[in-house]
Amino acid sequence: MVNSNGFVLTTVDELLSWGRRNALWPLTIGLACCAIEMMHAAASRFDLDRLGVIFRASPRQADLLIVAGTVVNKVAPMLKLLWEQMPDPKWCITMGGCASAGGPFPTYSTLQGMDRIIPVDVYIPGCPPHPQGLIYGILQLQKKIKEKGVKKYDKAFNDFRKDIQRQGLIPREIEV
Amino acid sequence: MNKATADRVKFEFKDVDVERTEHTVNLHVRHEKLAELLKHLKEREGFRHFIDHTCIDFPDKRERFQGIYILYNPDVNERVLVKTWAKDGKLPSIEKLWPCARWAEREAYDMFGVIYDGHENLRRMFMWEGYPYYPLRKDFPMEGPQEVELPSLTELYAGRTEPPSHDFELMHTRVATLEDLERTERSRLKKKAQLVLNWGPLHPGTHGTIWFLFDLDGESVVQSDVILGQLHRGMEKIAENIYYFQFLPYTDRMDYISAICNELAYVNTVEKLLGVEVPQKARYIRTMFAELQRINSHLLWLGTGALDLGALTVFLYAFREREKIMDIIEGNAGFRLTSAFLRIGGVHYDLAEGTLDVVKAFIKDFPQRLREYHNLLTRNRIWLRRTKDIGIISREDVFNYGLSGPVARASGVPYDLRKLEPYAAYDELDFDIPVGEVGDVYDRYLVRMEEMVQSLRIVEQCVAKLEKLPKSAPYVNKEHPAVMAPKEDVFMDLEDMVKNFRIVVHGEDAPPGEVYAGGENPRGELGFYIYSVSGSKPYRLRIRSGALYNLSIFPKLIEGRTIADAIALLGSLDPVVGETDR
Repeated sequence: MVNSNGFVLTTVDELLSWGRRNALWPLTIGLACCAIEMMHAAASRFDLDRLGVIFRASPRQADLLIVAGTVVNKVAPMLKLLWEQMPDPKWCITMGGCASAGGPFPTYSTLQGMDRIIPVDVYIPGCPPHPQGLIYGILQLQKKIKEKGVKKYDKAFNDFRKDIQRQGLIPREIEV
Repeated sequence: MNKATADRVKFEFKDVDVERTEHTVNLHVRHEKLAELLKHLKEREGFRHFIDHTCIDFPDKRERFQGIYILYNPDVNERVLVKTWAKDGKLPSIEKLWPCARWAEREAYDMFGVIYDGHENLRRMFMWEGYPYYPLRKDFPMEGPQEVELPSLTELYAGRTEPPSHDFELMHTRVATLEDLERTERSRLKKKAQLVLNWGPLHPGTHGTIWFLFDLDGESVVQSDVILGQLHRGMEKIAENIYYFQFLPYTDRMDYISAICNELAYVNTVEKLLGVEVPQKARYIRTMFAELQRINSHLLWLGTGALDLGALTVFLYAFREREKIMDIIEGNAGFRLTSAFLRIGGVHYDLAEGTLDVVKAFIKDFPQRLREYHNLLTRNRIWLRRTKDIGIISREDVFNYGLSGPVARASGVPYDLRKLEPYAAYDELDFDIPVGEVGDVYDRYLVRMEEMVQSLRIVEQCVAKLEKLPKSAPYVNKEHPAVMAPKEDVFMDLEDMVKNFRIVVHGEDAPPGEVYAGGENPRGELGFYIYSVSGSKPYRLRIRSGALYNLSIFPKLIEGRTIADAIALLGSLDPVVGETDR
């Protein structure tokens, strides 16, 4: 809100969340058919840039993973590695049926859903979804960030700390 | 195969059986004589062009695996199938005759476990090293053995909800680990020079998920190998487990950039097997959409190929036109990319109202756009430096590596199935086949650019023809017992409904036999080899991927060149991983 002196007052949390949700930088990864629709979403007609979505080629600069296409068992560890290389806070959108749940490929070589290996925030159905579908998914993610902030990572971090303590890697005294 | 050739083969090899089936000519040969016969066919009889090699698994037979080699004679436009039984699960390697057979053999080893004697490095083609199964064997289930526990992390983090957020099985098939992948990488290339560089699999320049290994000396590549399988979804296994018409949407997802061309190749093969005649209107609709799809595909190649070399403008321009074509397809088929528009015996929908007007507007507009691309690239000094005299493919290599499509034509080999084995309405249309002279990256660029012009010509003729046809002309041959009636009839007519119901539940009843047919895709010859033992499911469906064979020459072309050339070269070969890996 703007007060009488022309200052904008807000909380730090809200400011951060505003910044985060309006500059989602996804990692440039195309796996299969959905990648073509993702390219279309980024190209001249749908123009994802206007949502602040700019594709980055390095996981170190990205905070959104759009899994566009079929994830097969062979590529799963690589995607997980890339996900781990992305700095927090980070989000994941699965685009299309294959990435969300295996899609039309219930076979020996296909991973039945990206959420088996990394946590997913937004699932977009379709085979492949329209570019409009992808844009809608990104808007949903923005809404989610606005409403929930990045709190879910507090829980994940706590779990992680408990795990480490249980394994005896951190002595209890030094706990902060 | 004409009689003289058959006689000569019979004379040279006493125990070769020449079998003529309805659609193919098969040579049955004993395992020991295989290499000799293939050499004879290649060098003396002119069957120079390697099309495909695969195996079929017969668990009940004593020898179990049958190897099949498909060869093509460019002089007389004939195909021949050479069949042989593996001995103790072994076949001789023929990579000395056709270097691209190396990849086909790796694939057969990966999928069936057939060992090839004399193969330089027999490794897993698609799965990783250490994967214990051979998926295309008949005793392997399509879903694979469920052996690891992989819970959904969404549920794990959020807690189980009522009703559950989604339905999933806790058990999952085996997933590779990073160690597995490292083992795969190391098994492929023995380091000779300074350093092994990985390019891909998740790299924007690799057009999907191809994994290249370059053994580098400074900046030049001493040797290289390609690891595929990062998009291996088990299409051939799926095809064995579902009905013929059910596999059609899967063909869309193979070469997803040219979906309708894939469908056309598949539908054409199945129609040959089932003996279905296609009405004239359907043939013209098919041709028109296949050619629109070809333009669409070449535009994507142009945009991304130029983007890889740093020209962002071309990408944005090309995608502008792609959107127009996709709108035409969406307006008629209801889907943009993977349209599932064709049906066995016809097309799914009649032409939507106004389609021809939109296509005509596109025909009028597109030549001007093509000029724009030419202005941007054809005489661009950077473009010339990056593409001229790079990756020259000789005419012999076209045959030795089984190349097809624009890659073959750029080297001066006029191999185009639209002319040689006409399907759909291509024999009634007037168009030219552009061929290159040098066979470098620049020639491939020019050939593809000219193909777009020719495609436009075809579309124009199709529009003229379709306008003359009456609106009531049939677009599905619903008289045939294996063809489903169009939707509007199903809702109005009891007989059609019963027939559709029967096909959907029991599938089409195919006669026993085998057929190989191909379609001229934007990425080369997409062939389907169907081996049927009657029934509604194919016993074996082999997909001959043009992109896979086009890619197989890459390690040879890149030898001695720099990494920067690899990008231009790969762009000109234009593989799509959905098709190479299937």
